[in-house]
Amino acid sequence: MQAITVENLSKTFRVKRKEKGMRGSLKAIIHPRTEEIRAVNGVSFSVDKGEMLAFIGPNGAGKSTTIKMLTGILYPDGGRVEVMGIDPTKKRRQLAYQIGTVFGQKEQLWTHLTPYDNFRFFGAIYDLSDRETEKRIEELSERFTLRDFIDTPVRNLSLGQRIRCEIVASLIHKPKVLFLDEPTIGLDPVVKENVRALIKQMNREEHTTIFLTSHDVGDIEKLCRRIIIVNDGQIVLDDSVEQLKNHYQDKMAADIHACNNEHGKAEKNGESLNVSLEEILVDIYRSEEDG
Amino acid sequence: MGKCGDKSVSMNIKGGCRAGVRFRPWRKYAVIYRSVLMENLQYAANVAMGFFTYFVFIFIFIKLWGYMYRMPGELIAGYTKEQMIWYVMMTEMMLFGSNAASVAGEVARDIRGGNIAYLMNKPYHYTLYILSKYSGEWSIRLPMYALLAVVIGTVMVGPLPCFRLTAVPAMAVCVVMGLTIHAVFKLCISLFSFWIEDARPFQWLYDKLILVVGVMFPVEIFPRTLQPLLKMTPIYTVCYGPAKLIVDFSPEKCLEILAAQILYLTAGGVLMTLIYRRGVKKLYVNGG
Repeated sequence: MQAITVENLSKTFRVKRKEKGMRGSLKAIIHPRTEEIRAVNGVSFSVDKGEMLAFIGPNGAGKSTTIKMLTGILYPDGGRVEVMGIDPTKKRRQLAYQIGTVFGQKEQLWTHLTPYDNFRFFGAIYDLSDRETEKRIEELSERFTLRDFIDTPVRNLSLGQRIRCEIVASLIHKPKVLFLDEPTIGLDPVVKENVRALIKQMNREEHTTIFLTSHDVGDIEKLCRRIIIVNDGQIVLDDSVEQLKNHYQDKMAADIHACNNEHGKAEKNGESLNVSLEEILVDIYRSEEDG
Repeated sequence: MGKCGDKSVSMNIKGGCRAGVRFRPWRKYAVIYRSVLMENLQYAANVAMGFFTYFVFIFIFIKLWGYMYRMPGELIAGYTKEQMIWYVMMTEMMLFGSNAASVAGEVARDIRGGNIAYLMNKPYHYTLYILSKYSGEWSIRLPMYALLAVVIGTVMVGPLPCFRLTAVPAMAVCVVMGLTIHAVFKLCISLFSFWIEDARPFQWLYDKLILVVGVMFPVEIFPRTLQPLLKMTPIYTVCYGPAKLIVDFSPEKCLEILAAQILYLTAGGVLMTLIYRRGVKKLYVNGG
């Protein structure tokens, strides 16, 4: 069963352009100039229920625009989207009950309230009864170890504590799909590990589909089996993390072999090539940049 | 009250609420209201900081109208001196007590800065979310300013002649309706941020119109030919009507104002929904 289906999705933005200096500013008043930017260009993919997918790419590749179209925030110019069988453009509010979102760079919690009050708030927003909300808070605060600071105003929490609370707030209504946009940004390595472990545990226990975008290779390696790389609004790679690594290791071995033969060096047999995912991604991004 | 949860699970999915839960659409807005109330209660002392400005305004108007009314019992545009000063105190109370920052600045900032994207993906209507927040804000501010107005008025002007204590609930309803209409119109202007870079000049024009025509002076001060026109603008329902009712209550006038307010609130609500629905399709959020 598929949680997300995307077919030929496109989105174009009109961006204002202005020549430099005062003259350019005056000219822009008389002759405003705009330019079309294809943020997403004919993207197609699907995600199975319970799958953990990394949707990554360099800055400006179209990741966030895609997420925003999947969650019903932006209207696509073309193509078809279905999340849990719901068209986000037509039934955004209905879809909201099925999905959760965590944007690492944006706060959704009310900073002057305590996490507990925030969770009660989100429970009511998602039409949970008081009893259900209490039960869910109990369950999640245990799992995410929030007990020590659940009654402290959010503004007084550390970043790690806040991110844990952000994730709990997104999970309060037991979403079927969780969109994570840079969930571990700015966290120290220990907290990052904890957050990843919790996301993994939640996927295992509640079969939540995870749609992750992150520049942190650790997030991708530790959480996802499948990876989609986008650039210039198009998918450039859709493969399993394992396959991608194997493919690159083979490719590098072949390159070294060719290089050694060229320089007449003896080949070292049996030496394993350890290519990190980070190196692979840098290589892909660079080759995309070079066209 | 809809009960889509009572029928079946599939009905719930179609109706847009959770399965197995009795659907009470107003509950989430009540919770937003309560959350803002809880948040703002922590800063009630900050509200009191504005008391000085309010006092200065009222003091100037007491002196101004004291100079204009030379003879005791004199009427200007049908108002006695006490009624005129109480009128200004009531309209200023509504202005200071409502502080429409959330419906003006916050909405425009949400749209231009892209923050609206993170508020839209929740199962509530964004405009009602903002109106609930706004109500939570004035619920703290307005009673504080009302108390201040009563104290200043009683001490510096004297009690309002012929004031009917029994009519206070009706007056309160009209004031609350007026504040809501004010917020709906300001929200409509803010929603233009979907199309234009900056909606502030339009906010400024609307604010000044309300301030000069409805807040500082009652409509009767203006030329007779202009009065019917002014009474057709939101000014009548936002501040002039409720303040006039407080200083000179009559059940007929109350019904007339309430009818006009219901009409304006309905029209404003429809307009707000239409602008939002069209605008949200134009939303452009970039940068991560």
